[in-house]
Amino acid sequence: MIKAAIIGCGKIADEHASLMATLPDCAIVGVCDREELMAKQLAERYRVGRHFVDAHAMLEEVQPDVVHITTPPQSHFSLGSLCLETGAHVFLEKPFTVTAQEAESLIDLARRKDRMVTVGHNNQFSHESMEMRELVEAGFLGGPPIHMESCFPYGLKDPYGQALLGDRNHWVRALPGKLLHNVISHPVSKIAEFMPDPSPIVTAVGYTSPYLREMGHGDVVDELRVIIQSTDRTVSAYLTFSSQIGPPMFQFRLYGPENSLVLDHNQRTLIQLRKADARTSYLNHFIAPRVHARKYLANASRNISRFLRRDFHMDYGRRQLVRRFYRATQGKGPEPIPYREIILTARIMDTIFEQINGTYPGGTPI
Amino acid sequence: MDQKLLPVGREEPLLVTGAGGFIGTRTVVRLLEHGYRNIRCFARPSRDIGHLMKLKRDTGANLEIVQGNLLSPQDCGRAAEGVPVVYHLAAGKGLKSMSDAYLNSVVTTRNLMEAALASGRLLRFVNISSFSVYSNIRMKPGSLLDESCPMEDPPERKGEAYAYAKIMQDKLVIEYGEKKGLPYVILRPGVVYGPGVKGIHGRIGIDTFGPFLHIGGSNRIPLTYVDNCAEAIVLAGLTDGIDGEVFNVVDDDLPTSRQFLRMYKKNVAPFRSYYVPKAGSRIFCDLWERYSDWSDGQLPAVFNSTRWSCDWKGNSYSNMKLKMRVGWRPHVPFGEASARFFDYCRTAGGEK
Repeated sequence: MIKAAIIGCGKIADEHASLMATLPDCAIVGVCDREELMAKQLAERYRVGRHFVDAHAMLEEVQPDVVHITTPPQSHFSLGSLCLETGAHVFLEKPFTVTAQEAESLIDLARRKDRMVTVGHNNQFSHESMEMRELVEAGFLGGPPIHMESCFPYGLKDPYGQALLGDRNHWVRALPGKLLHNVISHPVSKIAEFMPDPSPIVTAVGYTSPYLREMGHGDVVDELRVIIQSTDRTVSAYLTFSSQIGPPMFQFRLYGPENSLVLDHNQRTLIQLRKADARTSYLNHFIAPRVHARKYLANASRNISRFLRRDFHMDYGRRQLVRRFYRATQGKGPEPIPYREIILTARIMDTIFEQINGTYPGGTPI
Repeated sequence: MDQKLLPVGREEPLLVTGAGGFIGTRTVVRLLEHGYRNIRCFARPSRDIGHLMKLKRDTGANLEIVQGNLLSPQDCGRAAEGVPVVYHLAAGKGLKSMSDAYLNSVVTTRNLMEAALASGRLLRFVNISSFSVYSNIRMKPGSLLDESCPMEDPPERKGEAYAYAKIMQDKLVIEYGEKKGLPYVILRPGVVYGPGVKGIHGRIGIDTFGPFLHIGGSNRIPLTYVDNCAEAIVLAGLTDGIDGEVFNVVDDDLPTSRQFLRMYKKNVAPFRSYYVPKAGSRIFCDLWERYSDWSDGQLPAVFNSTRWSCDWKGNSYSNMKLKMRVGWRPHVPFGEASARFFDYCRTAGGEK
């Protein structure tokens, strides 16, 4: 039986606890939050025997095998280190840490302690993401990726956005990248997965949308455009983060020399674009859309089939990630998210925030 | 008003949390109409307080608008300083996570109660709860749902974050009353309606699946018009001798779901609706819940037997306790209240 624990009993902890409750051979043995009421309510709802307000006390008394850290990111490094030092494997909610330096240190500590860490990039384990990974590994692109486009929407009117806008002292505002810092690891990690260069060139422009400016939140950057290039100029990527684009599109496009892939997390589809589908004749305007339509229909059928097999949960990616992580902690597989990818994501984010918070001119008017 | 009042001076500060909201604003107005001139209006920084500023200008009253976060003990201390009566209307609404709703309803209430007790002047803490806390799963259709009915147990059973948090909030308030001597009153309004909130309540029907499904049928809807509800809140804060009591707030002359829907279509916007018999909605909710369990939550159990009981089983309601103990009367009768509501919905763009 794996003994699991949670530090941080806020909104995201519910999702972790619900998932942990479904895992075979896993028991939540303790939950911890500095606010005792929060720890108590989670413990009561998930029938957890012990709740704590002090992480040291919890680790000492219940000695968990795995700890899920669902606190604000400012505490991820210290709490993650503490858990690793006491011999627990650590599942950190995103972002992994505040800085790349912290990320590298934490992974280094995990290696030294022979423990495992991972981060809640759950979209990396959606059906469509895993299918994309398999296709790339099988050589579908016809060579190494040439370019990527990662587009991530953010709903300021959603509860998360409202919580941020409603509180000038919200912890998200204290992060170096504020709103961006808390969410862009999702689209950045998609680029990091296929970016071979551990130190790519990053050029970022960030600004506040007119919508937020009018609301008096000029300090919050909610529009971001980034170009990322490998230093040898063989692979590039665009990153778009927007709170204003409608409809919200969470997409990732991966372009290869022969074929390309279009992944849509909203629709939960993966479209294969093949060179063979594109005709050079005038007929291309009539035939190609039908070919595309068939691909979308095939995706719809696949989704329905997964639904009927009870394999299409809204939190499917998180389920897969957590299960793979637990298997990995038992030596039954590799770490679900490669450490290289976690560190590269953190490095790219560091550079983005340095640029948008610094004096980088962000382009010249002509 | 025949009831004896608490010794609260007209110039003493009275605190209203959630003052920028739908019911909060009307509560402030009713307090002013009762002659209380020093109202401390607590609102979230993100809340539009233009209407409160206008009220302040129009009335010349001492409306002290305090913007802050009830998760901050300092902000709570600022809000509760020297206050004899706290009207606590602020709540975490529209939140899907139970932890989040708990944080924004229970932890905030704890902070506010601590601050109010520490201020040393507290005579009354009015906690605004909801009908959603009640469990009627063991009650027969049509039976009386009043203040003696139990709360849902376990509190998360309905699967609604708001209901869960409200139950936990009520429990904490009662605990503070028992252990720390908090002089509280709990008010549980039914369905609050009026200008400011448009649309048709889920107890009448839903359009989740496209067409509007009329589910309420002949059930009485526990409506309370916003001004009537605000009046009940004001009186609950001022009336002596009701510490530790719970009051339901519903108006007189409650319409059935069918009557209300017909009036809405006639006065706001015509649309097609499809009646779902009670047995049909019951079976649907049961099946949905079973599927959710069987599929390990592939579809969340948003429709379940507990929700069906709460929203669609149908009960009768009473406001006798509120009338007898607090001296409340619904001054705006249903005919006038519904006319104002429909006018607003029509102007604001009627929607189902």
